[in-house]
Amino acid sequence: MSEDHSGRIGAIHRELHSHLPSAPELRVKALESLLVEKGLLDPNTVDAWIEVYTEQIGPKRGAEVVARAWTDPAFRDRLFADGTAGITELGFEGWAGGHLRVVPNTPAVHNLVVCTLCSCYPHAVLGIPPNWYKTAAYRSRAVRDPRGVIAEFGDAIPDDVEVRVWDSTAEVRYLVLPERPAGTEDWDVARLARLVTRNSMIGTERDLGRLVGRG
Amino acid sequence: MDGIHDLGGRQGYGPIDVNEPPEPFHAPWEARLFGITRAFTRPAMFSIDLFRHVRECIDPAEYLTRGYYDQWLLAYAVLMVDAEAVTVEELATGKSAKAIPNMPPPMTPAKVATLTKAMSRFDRESDTGPTFAPGDKVKTIPFGSSGHTRLPQYARGREGQIESFRGVHTLPDTNMAGDGPAQPLYTVSFLAADLWLGAAGRKDHVYLDLWESYLERA
Repeated sequence: MSEDHSGRIGAIHRELHSHLPSAPELRVKALESLLVEKGLLDPNTVDAWIEVYTEQIGPKRGAEVVARAWTDPAFRDRLFADGTAGITELGFEGWAGGHLRVVPNTPAVHNLVVCTLCSCYPHAVLGIPPNWYKTAAYRSRAVRDPRGVIAEFGDAIPDDVEVRVWDSTAEVRYLVLPERPAGTEDWDVARLARLVTRNSMIGTERDLGRLVGRG
Repeated sequence: MDGIHDLGGRQGYGPIDVNEPPEPFHAPWEARLFGITRAFTRPAMFSIDLFRHVRECIDPAEYLTRGYYDQWLLAYAVLMVDAEAVTVEELATGKSAKAIPNMPPPMTPAKVATLTKAMSRFDRESDTGPTFAPGDKVKTIPFGSSGHTRLPQYARGREGQIESFRGVHTLPDTNMAGDGPAQPLYTVSFLAADLWLGAAGRKDHVYLDLWESYLERA
């Protein structure tokens, strides 16, 4: 983009700032009314998208991917080779899933995912990101002090474990495969999936073992 | 651009809200805006890279204080004004002053189930092979550009190692119109201690996905 165009973009931002309603709910209302009047939007379709990302597409999908990878080594191999193909096998293909890479935690490695430049996230398998994932607090510290960030969420990473931070700077999206906790050897996929938290698939949580007693 | 959005390694932003409620949306208007952005017909071509750049151009104080979905609203509003599809006055009042000619009917609810499965791909067929191979030592270029780019400041002018080749992907810097050239994309690993003083003595790594023109052989 030319500097002229960037300058024009900045000028439109400033003009909008002085003219749009000051409360976000009023800005959204005005935008929706305008788009409907322009023939660009059906309000019922807005309801349908909200419902699908509230009820259907969320971290439960990622948890099923993880539980299947824990129980089916052949699936796990396919998932590592091509994350997008792996989630498509389960019918979870979708938004930001086109270049998915699954990174496994091991006793020696812990993975953490961030997008320092915007808020890239594997929506197809984790749904709507938590707000903290999109904040300056998380985006600034995840690459510089990942151990401190994970400690803030309540897990300590031992000194001899290597932390790998994945900064999503391109269109590749990352999903962490947490370690399967001990004591779950005879559990089926559905029961295992209930153990898997959203944060463990972002990497801000490491130890799922504390949840085993509740499974 | 060296903007407020380039947050990696910045300090002073305080604690993370680790007790955030689990619901995907925390206010009805957030859900509404999310749904609108999924459902509305783009009156012009907005590439993901142009969208990101427009968000980067939000006033720095606003960038840090406006809610995330409010920033999406601002970005789409700017894109539509820039494309001359709507006016600031129309966005302020919610009333259309002029119809947009030749637009197809809007997306219907019946289409949503199929569209949730849509996946964009950013790799392109190319005769150009990768210059670097896994294990190669590389150094990132020291400069940013004043337009959109995806090489964060904290990783400029640093030595790293090619971890993998990810295919030939459209280059964000020149993809504003959505049809820009593609370049080999690599996952590059950096020893945390080569990026941050405080990481000395650890074997931790930071991985970034970087295009070939961001890299030089080290």
